Amino acid sequence: MSDAVRTTALFKRYGPQVAVAEVDLVVPAGSFAGLVGPNGAGKTTTLSMITGLLRPDGGEAHVDGHHVWRDPLQVKARIGVLPEGLRLFERLSGRELLLYNGRLRGIPKPEVERRADELLEVMDLTAAAGKLVVDYSTGMRKKIGLAAALLHNPSVLFLDEPFEGVDPVSANTLTEVLRRFTASGSTVIFSSHVMDLVERLCDWVSVMSGGHIVAQGPIDEVRAGRSLNQAFLDLVGGPQAATGEGLGWLGSAERR
Amino acid sequence: MNTVALFAGLKLRLITGNLRGDTARQVGFAFTLILAAGAAVGGFALISLLRLAPADLALAVVTLLYTALLVGWMIVPLMAFGLDDTLDPARLSLFPLRTGVLAVGMFTASATGVWPVATLVVTAGALVGLASGIGGVLVGLLSVLVHFALCLVASRLVTTALSGALRSRRGRDALAVAAIAVVLLFQLPNLLMNRGFGDPAGMLHDMAGALRWTPSGLAAHAIADGGLAGLGEVAVLAVVVLVVGWLWIKALGRALVTADSSTQAASVRRESGLTDRFLPDGLLAAVVSKELKYVRRDPRYRILWFAAVAVVLVMAFSFTGQGMSGAGLPIGLTAFCGMMIAIQLGNAYGIDGRSLWMNAVAFGSQRQFGLDLAGRHLANALIALPVLLLVAVASALFAGEPGAIGWALAAGAGVLGVGFGVGSVTSVLVPYTVPERMNAFTGAAPGQGGQAFGCALLAFTGVGVLSAPFAIAAAFGAVWVLAFAPLYGLAIEALGRALATKIGFVRMPELLEAVSRPT
Repeated sequence: MSDAVRTTALFKRYGPQVAVAEVDLVVPAGSFAGLVGPNGAGKTTTLSMITGLLRPDGGEAHVDGHHVWRDPLQVKARIGVLPEGLRLFERLSGRELLLYNGRLRGIPKPEVERRADELLEVMDLTAAAGKLVVDYSTGMRKKIGLAAALLHNPSVLFLDEPFEGVDPVSANTLTEVLRRFTASGSTVIFSSHVMDLVERLCDWVSVMSGGHIVAQGPIDEVRAGRSLNQAFLDLVGGPQAATGEGLGWLGSAERR
Repeated sequence: MNTVALFAGLKLRLITGNLRGDTARQVGFAFTLILAAGAAVGGFALISLLRLAPADLALAVVTLLYTALLVGWMIVPLMAFGLDDTLDPARLSLFPLRTGVLAVGMFTASATGVWPVATLVVTAGALVGLASGIGGVLVGLLSVLVHFALCLVASRLVTTALSGALRSRRGRDALAVAAIAVVLLFQLPNLLMNRGFGDPAGMLHDMAGALRWTPSGLAAHAIADGGLAGLGEVAVLAVVVLVVGWLWIKALGRALVTADSSTQAASVRRESGLTDRFLPDGLLAAVVSKELKYVRRDPRYRILWFAAVAVVLVMAFSFTGQGMSGAGLPIGLTAFCGMMIAIQLGNAYGIDGRSLWMNAVAFGSQRQFGLDLAGRHLANALIALPVLLLVAVASALFAGEPGAIGWALAAGAGVLGVGFGVGSVTSVLVPYTVPERMNAFTGAAPGQGGQAFGCALLAFTGVGVLSAPFAIAAAFGAVWVLAFAPLYGLAIEALGRALATKIGFVRMPELLEAVSRPT
């Protein structure tokens, strides 16, 4: 199986702070991959560098075998991106946003309109299609963002925290769409720190901590019999549970 | 006393914490410090010098100045809402603070800062300028302090009372545009003076007389009167402060428990598809129709266009006020209008801001990047050309030179093209973030004031230098050269766009970062 994404020694620093330290991320084509790690592990920075939005200080990234920084035309036609922070053209309506995005990529207008209307339907946004994105709720924004990322039928989809702040109904819609997408052989890479979700959805997982990849592979291999949450805590070495000394004052016993 | 020290310390910590580890912000803050110190020292010195003027004139000037300070304090934070660095009361609402303590604390926090201190110093200048005798100085001192307190409390009252409206998007949009109207309002007296209505001294006295019994008038007179009369005026002023303060506390109590007014927005109209009828389907048409929508819907564009047209009107006033007439008026004015419009695109990606990634992730070739820039120019030209025509026709008719309409329009179109060309280059060389909540004082994200200034300077200089040959030729009577101005403008636009495309495509990640700064 070929790799949808492969980075070699990808490196980024902000001043003295090393955000991503020589990351070798591998995601096989057709997988539903989770990139997990605690806050500040470098997930967003890594995804930004692979999608060509942030210039790395060292290392290389390939998408479908194309070099991200030397062959941007090939790479950008193949990827769909939903970055963190819901940054969209807010003064367009949902439908206008999709149309703009599709035509930006040179898809003929009638075809863009057809796809946009179908996506709006699937995402349950038809009623809100005429409203400005600035008035959308978080869940609606994630859905319209995902629709925009899917519109040109990319082969690799990058999603940064797609489920953060999304209500269960919208989250279900998102996962259904993504499942269908990967079932056809396309690749999804999403970052998250909700372990249950990753465990439920993904067949491949990469664990990041402190700018490094600490584990990577098929999810059952990484789990090795534990729950993903336990495996994750073992890998990133979270602090010991608050059982011993300290915090003795906390709780009803001490309150008067 | 404890509360005062605590909140003053908190505010100072907020200010210093905001600066930590960000050189650009530190430079910006240093600049603010210099500006505020300059304003304080200069203001103090000028008011002190009023001592040398006749007493009634000095009193009138101080009355006006105090009023300006008070109104300024009420309006400025409103327009700068969001950038206002005083403590947000909503953050303190969960702490078990009694209303009195909260009020004292918020007041202290408001008084701590660079601009409050500058205001206090300027206000105190009147002590030197107006007060007479020891008694006068003592009463004056009280008056200064009370008026300063009034500035702070009134300022807080206005922002708090309107905070509900400011939380909804429509309220914020409306306010943003209203802000620019206020700035224009401030220009009005200036314009009138320019036209030479009446004698300035008489006008000054009339205005001061009208303001005699306003709080600011009372404060000024208290300093001048001294003695018991002054003390009485200070007492009245103190009551006003207490009443405003009480209203503020009430408003605060209400604002803290009122939920955000969410917007039940209506749908926008389906696009008419007008641009698609004239342009071939594709990237260019998509960008043009998006830009046209943005000009209509984004308050920042509304402000920019409104400001550009307003500045042209102001210039028209002062041109004619200076006795300028003949063909030079329509030509000069239309060219100026062209520049003001084109300069808006001197930071073409600033308003896209954090959304620009959507373009960056789609553009894999220079051609796409260049087409995007061309679309932006085309969309703006579609609006600009009718505006230029209007300005050319109106000013030519006004000057009684209908024959100059064509020349004026040619000059305007030429400058527009030159401006687009220069603006493309500045857009990729010195990009900066235009905050969502643009206010009348800064059009850049915190810490990027330098870039904004450099960008504007570069753009204006570039347009000036590149337009100079035509301006000089026309000024020396060779008006016919203007026939070539549109072509020249088009050439500069194409050249600038090509250059910007080369630079911008390579620098896309840096461009993205510069326009995605938090605001």
